[in-house]
Amino acid sequence: MPWNDNANPGPWGSPPGGQDDRPEGEPPPRREEPRRRLPPPPPNGPDLGDLWRRLRSEWTRLTRGRRGDGIRPSAIAAAAGVVFMIWALTGFYIVQPYQEAIVTRFGAFARREVPGLRYHLPVPIERAELVNVTQQQKTIVGGSPGAEAPDESLMLTGDENIVDLSFAVQWHISDAAAYLFQVRDPEDAVKAVAESAMREVVGHSALTSILTNGRGEVQAQTLDLMQRILDRYHAGVTIDAVQIQNANPPAEVVPAYQDIARAGQDAQSAINQANTYRNRVVNEAVGDSAKIVQASEGYRAQVVRDAEGQAAGFNQVYAQYRRAPAVTRERMYIEAMQDVLSHSRKVIIDAKGATAPIILPPQAFQSIAAEPAAPAQPPAASSASPSPGPSQ
Amino acid sequence: MSRRLFYMLLAIFVVVVVAANTFFIVDQRVQAVVVNLGEPVRVINPPGAYDPGLKVKIPFVESVVSLDKRNQAIEASQEEVISADQQRLVVDAFVRYRISNPLAFYRTLGNETIARDRLEPLINSSLRQVLGAATASDIIAHQRAELMNKTLEDVRARAARSRLGIEVVDLRIKRADLPAANAQAVYQRMRSNLQQRAAQIRAQGEASRREIIADADRQVTVTLAGANQQALTTRGAGDAESARLFAASFGKDPSFAAFYRSMEAYEGSLADDQTTLVLSPDSDFFKYFKLGPKAK
Repeated sequence: MPWNDNANPGPWGSPPGGQDDRPEGEPPPRREEPRRRLPPPPPNGPDLGDLWRRLRSEWTRLTRGRRGDGIRPSAIAAAAGVVFMIWALTGFYIVQPYQEAIVTRFGAFARREVPGLRYHLPVPIERAELVNVTQQQKTIVGGSPGAEAPDESLMLTGDENIVDLSFAVQWHISDAAAYLFQVRDPEDAVKAVAESAMREVVGHSALTSILTNGRGEVQAQTLDLMQRILDRYHAGVTIDAVQIQNANPPAEVVPAYQDIARAGQDAQSAINQANTYRNRVVNEAVGDSAKIVQASEGYRAQVVRDAEGQAAGFNQVYAQYRRAPAVTRERMYIEAMQDVLSHSRKVIIDAKGATAPIILPPQAFQSIAAEPAAPAQPPAASSASPSPGPSQ
Repeated sequence: MSRRLFYMLLAIFVVVVVAANTFFIVDQRVQAVVVNLGEPVRVINPPGAYDPGLKVKIPFVESVVSLDKRNQAIEASQEEVISADQQRLVVDAFVRYRISNPLAFYRTLGNETIARDRLEPLINSSLRQVLGAATASDIIAHQRAELMNKTLEDVRARAARSRLGIEVVDLRIKRADLPAANAQAVYQRMRSNLQQRAAQIRAQGEASRREIIADADRQVTVTLAGANQQALTTRGAGDAESARLFAASFGKDPSFAAFYRSMEAYEGSLADDQTTLVLSPDSDFFKYFKLGPKAK
């Protein structure tokens, strides 16, 4: 080889110093001679340069051919064997518990492998592809809060309204071979089919039902439709669930919806107001009517008692009167007169024979209590004195 | 450098190069067209045959064109469609197809990019034609599935006519929406519907309120009237009872009753400071006053 053929050193010239340094003229010693003996280490102990020299000599010893040039065939064979081993070892691979491996030989499906440490004949003979079969995959359509995608989420409904709907599809790979070999871009296919199916289902549902109690129905129909389509494509995918994450009226319309809620509350509060009024007024009326009735009862009782009292009084007097009528009458009359006259102002006038009107002085009409004790007052009683003026 | 080694390695190199050009692997996802100097000669692993694996060809002369055997998609870009009732819709569809005849595909289309360029306008034109014959509500709702099928059939027919070598597996409309400008009109309509509903709810509430108040007032009137009626009856009963009692007692001797009651009346009304009585001495009270002790 050019790098150890000192007779033909090539463009780099002879190797420098070291073991191969010889005084000029001397032929290089035959290498076979010190075959089993290394040059003695320098007196000061081995150093790095010396280590290198020893390695090189070992290397040349192992690989050199019989004639000192070229490489031993066994060395080549050994090298080839090592390469082959490395190549063969590339066939080991690990299948995780949630995976399945599909092994193809020269491109043709060979076998499936379960989780664990597996071996396949190295590339290009066999190839293993790992597929997540138990892990659940999730595809989101319509964006998520914070990452809205109005293109994907605004949909036309069956009653020609617009709804803002985002949903998630959970699926897993049920047939790894079909997943790999039947459909070219299965994840994209799932998303496209999801969007198409959901829009179809929303397209024949009413907005109010989607917003309120029809969600379950929409989700079920979409799942059904998606599964049918993907089975037709032999995609090897099973849809586990379709979940509507957000279904709202479009943002422009939301205030009007909120107003409807407010309207409901306004109506209710008007009714409550009216009921309050009614309770108050009706109870007041009941109270008032009770009062009226009670008052009338009171009046009746009073009047009857009064009458009873008067009647009882009269009956007693009458009983006495019956025993001595004339006497009782006389007595009663005199007592009554006494009482009346003793409490009132009196003017006694004997008007027989008087021709002109009699005029009474104003003091005659003053009340007794108001009059100061003035006995000198000419008594209005006794004889009449004719005088013109207003009569009594 | 060892000559022998050099030649050996050269030989190995040549063998490897030739082998690489002779052997090729056809994956089961792939169908291969072997082309001999530009002319397709045979097909390996076509649809209907399952034939993947290690294959052989004439080195350097024959080359292999790999086509996907799988179900793949073309998404047609948004297309504005005018429906039968003159409504504009923006429609977004996708098609899933397989290369069913690789030779034909290679001859007419050649590769997937060209396939997409030719299929997209074909799909859009089919959509316009089929959907243009349906009303907007049919497209969105009632006949969506049927219209998709019809368009699928139309696309299949066109692909067959043009001998594109593909099998159209499915055609689906992803979106059939109103253009942005019309969306605003829809929002406006939705808003006014909702406002109407809100006003109706409020009006109903107000009507109920008035009804309740009127009913309450009515109840009040009825209650009070009943009470008044009862009160009058009771008062009347009281008065009647009183009269009866009077009649029962005073009625025993009306003239004495009159006298008795009059005496009471005089005492009650005239015996106060405000009264001035102008009397004649002829009154019976003054009988003894005038006539002296001997009068009878």
